[in-house]
Parts: sequence; C-alpha cells; structure tokens
Amino acid sequence: MNLRHVAITLAKELREALRDRRTLAIMILLPLVVYPLLSLLAAQVATGRDKQREQRPSTVALVGSGPDHALAASIRQNPTLFVLLPAGTAADIEGGSLDALIERDSRDATKLTLVYDASRDESRMAEERLSDLIAKGLPDGCAPTLTADRRSVAPQARVGGYLLSKALPLFVVLMVLLGAFYPAIDVTAGERERGTLETVLCSPIQRFDLMFGKVLAVATLAALTGVLNLASMAITLMQILRLATAQNVVPDVPWGHALAASLVIFPAALLFAAAFVALGATARTLKEAQTLLLPVYFLTVAPAMAGAIGEYRLAGIAAWIPGMNVTLLARDLMVGRAHWSGGLAALLSTLIFAAAALAVAARIYDSERFMVPAPRRQAQPGSATRTTTAGDALTLFGLAFLLLYFVFLPIEQHHLTAGLLAAEWIGLLGLVGLFARVSGQGFAKVVGLTRPTARALLGAALVGCGAWAAVAVLSEWLLPVPKEMLEQLRRSLVPLDGSRGFVGTLLLVAVSPAICEEALFRGPILRGLRTRLDAVAAAAITGLLFGLFHLDLYRLIPTAILGVLLSWIALECGSIVPSMLAHFCNNAILITLARSRLDQRMESLSHRAITLIVLASLALVGVGLMLVRGTRRKREM
Amino acid sequence: MPEPLAVLDNASKSFGTVGAVVELSLSIPGGEIYGLLGPNGAGKTTALRMLAGLLSPTSGRATLAGHDAKSTSAKTALGYLSGSTGLFGRLTPREVLDYFGQIHGLSRREIRARAEVLARDLALDAIFDRRCEVLSTGERQRVSIARAVLHDPAVLILDEPTSGLDVLASRFMRDFILGERARGKAILFSTHYLAEADLLCDRIGFLHFGRLLREGTPAAIRASLGAGTLEEAFLKLVEDRGDSA
Repeated sequence: MNLRHVAITLAKELREALRDRRTLAIMILLPLVVYPLLSLLAAQVATGRDKQREQRPSTVALVGSGPDHALAASIRQNPTLFVLLPAGTAADIEGGSLDALIERDSRDATKLTLVYDASRDESRMAEERLSDLIAKGLPDGCAPTLTADRRSVAPQARVGGYLLSKALPLFVVLMVLLGAFYPAIDVTAGERERGTLETVLCSPIQRFDLMFGKVLAVATLAALTGVLNLASMAITLMQILRLATAQNVVPDVPWGHALAASLVIFPAALLFAAAFVALGATARTLKEAQTLLLPVYFLTVAPAMAGAIGEYRLAGIAAWIPGMNVTLLARDLMVGRAHWSGGLAALLSTLIFAAAALAVAARIYDSERFMVPAPRRQAQPGSATRTTTAGDALTLFGLAFLLLYFVFLPIEQHHLTAGLLAAEWIGLLGLVGLFARVSGQGFAKVVGLTRPTARALLGAALVGCGAWAAVAVLSEWLLPVPKEMLEQLRRSLVPLDGSRGFVGTLLLVAVSPAICEEALFRGPILRGLRTRLDAVAAAAITGLLFGLFHLDLYRLIPTAILGVLLSWIALECGSIVPSMLAHFCNNAILITLARSRLDQRMESLSHRAITLIVLASLALVGVGLMLVRGTRRKREM
Repeated sequence: MPEPLAVLDNASKSFGTVGAVVELSLSIPGGEIYGLLGPNGAGKTTALRMLAGLLSPTSGRATLAGHDAKSTSAKTALGYLSGSTGLFGRLTPREVLDYFGQIHGLSRREIRARAEVLARDLALDAIFDRRCEVLSTGERQRVSIARAVLHDPAVLILDEPTSGLDVLASRFMRDFILGERARGKAILFSTHYLAEADLLCDRIGFLHFGRLLREGTPAAIRASLGAGTLEEAFLKLVEDRGDSA
C-alpha cells in the first residue's frame, strides 16, 4: 500500500466534498439546525399537552353503599384534579360524559373497583389520579386502608385499537413519506439527469397531464409502501405485546378499524407525492433533488409527529394542517371515534394541498430556468458586482440559528438581558456585518439601507401599529397559547421585580430586534431569496424562517405572519428602514400592552368589541400596505 | 417556393442579461436540410430549442408547420433528436416506441406496424426487447431515431446528432438524414463538424455569439469568401468581424 497515494486521494476527495456547498449544508446545517429545531418544537408540543391535561379535572363518581365520606372528602379537596358527580354508570364512561367510576364493595369496606375506559386518554388519566389518591392513603382515623381493583369498560378490540393508535398512524405516515421520497426524485430530477425530459417535453402532451401521471405513479408506490408497512407493523406490534404480557393475553386487533385507518394512506400518499414531485421538479440533478427533499422530509415529519404525540382533537386548524390531520384521522379511525366533520375537513384539505402542489409541479417542471445550465456566478467574491444569493441567505440563516441555539440561548438562561443583547447585536447584526465584509458588498448594500420616502415610513408605521391585534386573534384561533406560557412571556417582557423600566424594556425588546433582526431577515435573507424566487414566495419563506428563528411553537404563527408583512414592506419600499420602523412599532405596542396588562383585560371584552378591534387592526394594515405599495425609489428599481 | 415548415422570425432569446440568440430569422421548407453551424456556445441549441417549443423567444416568433412552436399542434409535427437525448433505460425499445406512439395519438395497430418498419430499416430487431440501459451508444441513437420519426413528423430538428458517435454510426445517421429529406421532410440540423455540414446541407447558416453571420448554400458561402472549406469560410467571417471563437 502506498500511503502517499492514499493521502493524496484523501486530500483531493475532501477538497472536492468541502467545495460542494450542498454536501456541506446536509452535513452541517441539517443536523445542527433542523434536528434541534424539531426537537425543541416537539418538546413544546409535549409540554403544552401536559399542561392542558393537568389543567383539565377528571370527572368521577362514587357509587355503591359503604363508608365513603373520607374518600369523597379527599376527592372534593382536590378540585383541580377532580369533579365529583353524584352518580354515574359504566355507560356514562363509554359515552364520554364520565371519566371514571369508583364502585364500593358492599361486603368489604376496604375494597374498591375503579371503572374506566382503557381506550380513552382522559379516562386513563382519571384512573391514574384516583389510584394515586388511594395509594397515598386517607387521613389517619378516617377510614381503613383501601385497596382498589381496576376494570376497563372498553372491549379488547377497542383497547387494541387504542394501543395501535399510539404508534401506527405516525409510522404509517412516515412510511408513506419514505415511499414517496425516491420515486419522486427519480421521476423528476432523474428524468432531467437522464436526458429524457427534453424528449418528453417535445411531445404533444400537456404539462399537467404529464405531472399528474407522475404524481399518481409516485402516490401508488408510496401508498403501497404504507399499506405493506401498516400490515407488517400491526402484526409485529401485536406480537410484541403478546410477548410482553405474562399471561399471553393480548388485546384484539380491531381489523375493521385498522382497515378504515389504512384509508388515510391514499390521500396522504397523493399529498406527499405531489409535494415531493413539485420540489423534485425544481432540481437539475438527482443530488440536488436529494439535497432539497431531505430537509423537507424532516419538516414534513414534524406536524405528523405533533399529531401523534400532541393528543390534539381532529377539529379546527388541526384538521387543516397537512400531515398532522391524516395522522389524527388515522388515530381516530383506529379507536373508532372518528367524527365525520373532522375527517371530511382532513381529507378535503389534503386533496386541496395535493392539487395545489400538483399545479405548482406542472407549472415549474418545464420552466426554462431548469432547462438551461445553472448560471455561473457573475463575479468572484470580493468584486464590485457580487450580490447576495439564495444560498447565502440560507447559509446565513443556518449560521444565525447555530449561534442562537448553541451560544446565546445558554447565555440567556444565565442572564436574560446580556443574552438577548448579545444574540441581537453579535449573533445577528455582527453576522450581517461580517458577511458584508467577506462578500465585499458593503453593509448598506447587503441590508438595503437606503433613504425611504415619507409615505413608506407612514405606511410601515400603520402596519406596525395595526398588525398585532389581527395577528393575535388569528394565532389564538389557530394555536392558542397555554396561559402559563403567556404569563411566562409577559414576565420576560416585564419583570415582576421591576428590575427593568419601560425605556430599558423598549430598548431591549423593541429597538434592538427592530434593528438587528431586520438587518438579517429583511436584509441578506430576503434579498438573497428574492434572486431565485418571486416576491410572494421570497416574503413567505423569509416570514417562515423568521417564525422558526423565535424557537417557540406558539409564537411561530404570529411571528411568521409578522415576518411576511415586514418582508413585503421591505420589498415594496426597497429599503430596510420602513420594516425596522414597523417592527419597532409592533414590539413597542406589545410591551405597552403587557406592562399595563391590557391584554388580560381584553379577554373580558365582548365578542363584538374584539371584532371591532380586529377590523380596525385590519384596516390599519390594509391602509399601511397600500401606502407602502410602489414606494421604492427609482434608483432602487 | 414551397411553404416553409420551420420558421424563426426575428427571434431573440436572453438569459438574464446575456443574449444567447439575437434577432435570428430562418425558414426551412419541406425537402430541405438546413445546417445551423457555429462553435460551442454560438446559440445553436438555444435556436433549436425555441423551434422545438422548449424555450419561448424573448422576442420574435417561432413556428412549426404554421403553428406556434409551443402548441400541441406544432409538437405533433415535430421529431426532435439531440446528441444528449436520453432513453428510458428501464424500458425496452419496443416499450419506448409504444409510449411515444400513444402520446402522439397512434393506435396500437399503427404503432405495431410503424415499429416493425422502423425495426427493419434501423436494424433494431435484435435489440427490440432488451432494456435501453444495456444498449451501446450507436444502438441507443438508432432507437432515438425510431422514436423521433415514429409518428412521421413533417419537421425534424436534430441537435448535434452525430456528437459522440463512431464512424459507422455517424455514417448511418447521415444516410438517415438524406433519406428523410427524400421523403419531403424539413430538416434543421446543428453541428460544429463543418465538413459534415458541407456533405449534407442544402443551405447553412453561420451562427456566432447568437447572431447569424451568413446564410446560403455551402458552395455559395465558400465562393463568396474565397475559402476552400466551410471551416476556412467561418474563420474568415469571424476574423472580418474582429471576433474570435
């Protein structure tokens, strides 16, 4: 063996690999950005779920004859845990109006039976709470020590369905996603790379027909993967349960329900196939397609995972979130509790999203942008003509995220003010400054620091002052923030110990983000994305990144909407200054509301009053957006 | 003069600020082979792609058989083949022809009949049921020819069809082109092998940096520039303009 040749080859291969920015992105940014982000959001979902569960008291009843006063008194002493009803039956538990029933044994005063529904989470929790209460024992001298047996009213088949519903829907969605992944790449980027695309596009076939055929092919393969996995996993899980139970008593598999649950595979497969084909259609090569689809795969897993662990109901916005809705529908079908309205909304929204993705795929597949070779960089870094690219935008977001997550968040946990200031001025503004220097473009050019018109400033101020109410109501409707989390946020804005005054808070939470966050997000990120995307798409993605950057599931929607509005302002005005002003106004109003606790008072307002506030808010935003429209100065065009 | 079947009318195509083709006009009637010549990057492929409906002209017009080149009607009249044209590797030549025949609206019987004729003419019988991915370059090119002419199109656009082929395969391709001309097809053909164009083309156009420098029969162009070969003629044209390839 010639070690020198090994070393030469090693050096050459590493040099090549490290010059491939996509490889670097997958290797570094994916594990360091996407995984922490997903785990953080998943943890927040779990925390929110626990808090919701803790907040809900269990409805219980005590029946049968015997000395019960002490037990009943103990239950009544825990009003946050229990609501004691005067009577109840097993049928009430099955019907869902009662969570658990305590049956006393008329012959033995120390014996109780806890009746519950093992296929319902609320009922299981009631059983756990009652068991804990009984295990702690009643006050001395009140009663003899109690022993409790447990009896579930749910048939074995439903319990089997419940157990399967905990894991199978998520696995099935994951398998469908995986089943769509490679076929989608193959029929799009693969076709382009193999040189068969030109041939097909020269034939008299409509783009939509072509893409529809491709999507159906990918969906068929994905659905097949899903069906096979569902069957295999159902059998495997039951075998595991059989081995795990000492008596080899296994809950029945509700095959009818499992079959019904498997029906969600088909719309899910169609949606994922259409989405992946649309994305794959934008890639020139197989490698590029894999690079594009892998992060999207993980992001698509997130809502499905939230649906699986979040114990959400299939209603409202949950029924319209792709991935999450089919997971919830599969779960409900598995336990036999699906409601037609939620199911219909889930199926309808999935088909709508699939159709939209298909339309996008058909539109972009023969786009001339992908027909010609990738444009070469027009100038080397450091030259006067260097501009920020979409790749720069995503790299900057990744770096800012890494700095925030691994450096500044730990500092914030020790010292909030120092951490916040460092994150904003070093992690964001410093990063932009460094990028401006390295790319040789100059800070003003990188962020778009130009003199805005007075009309642009007025419009931006109106948007900044008006957006909060509409955004708050919308996010409350879509994903309500648990009260404890809201209070935590309020305390971080306005410390109870009065350690930070109004001006200090304004500088820290309004001025600082308005300058630093805007410099990064409405600067190189938005401007970089705009070089590859149209204005709407660039604003939407910048808004989403802005929302994700705040690392808070419950603030994701409001910050993302605000991010889109700020991006739109920056694009219309051709200057960063108006979006900074709008950002400042928005944050300043939120601080004012939190300090005066006006937000809490709003909760007691009538529906009509809230409607009026939202309408006024929308009017301000509308007028503001009209004012900023077309205010880009000519030299900026 | 017969009606032109392939027309570029003052067509330009820009990518960003770069003009790939600038105000190019040409028209090819049936029974003519037109050679679009020029070095790499001259704009030949872009011009052909506009005519094939793959790219829209930034300005001007591209039509095939009287229809806008992007339209389905135009594509029905088009047979397109390029040096880099791929085949579906996991399908057999028979399946490839079946797929494209159906897209072109041919019946199963028509496809079978056409495929038999093409298999005989293009010597495909021995490979007709083998996967395309195992075929040699020359065999693949013959399958591609069969695919391009399966529906008997009025216009053939051939983008560097002999690129990468060996002597025998190139000869086969030239014979095929001449045969199609005899059948009344309008053939637009691009190459940077100028000797090949001299052998084949009725008319040629020299393209350089997206502009048509000269158009005419090979003999007329050679004579007008006092050149013995098309290569000399092209170099003189470029030198006269002060450009270099």
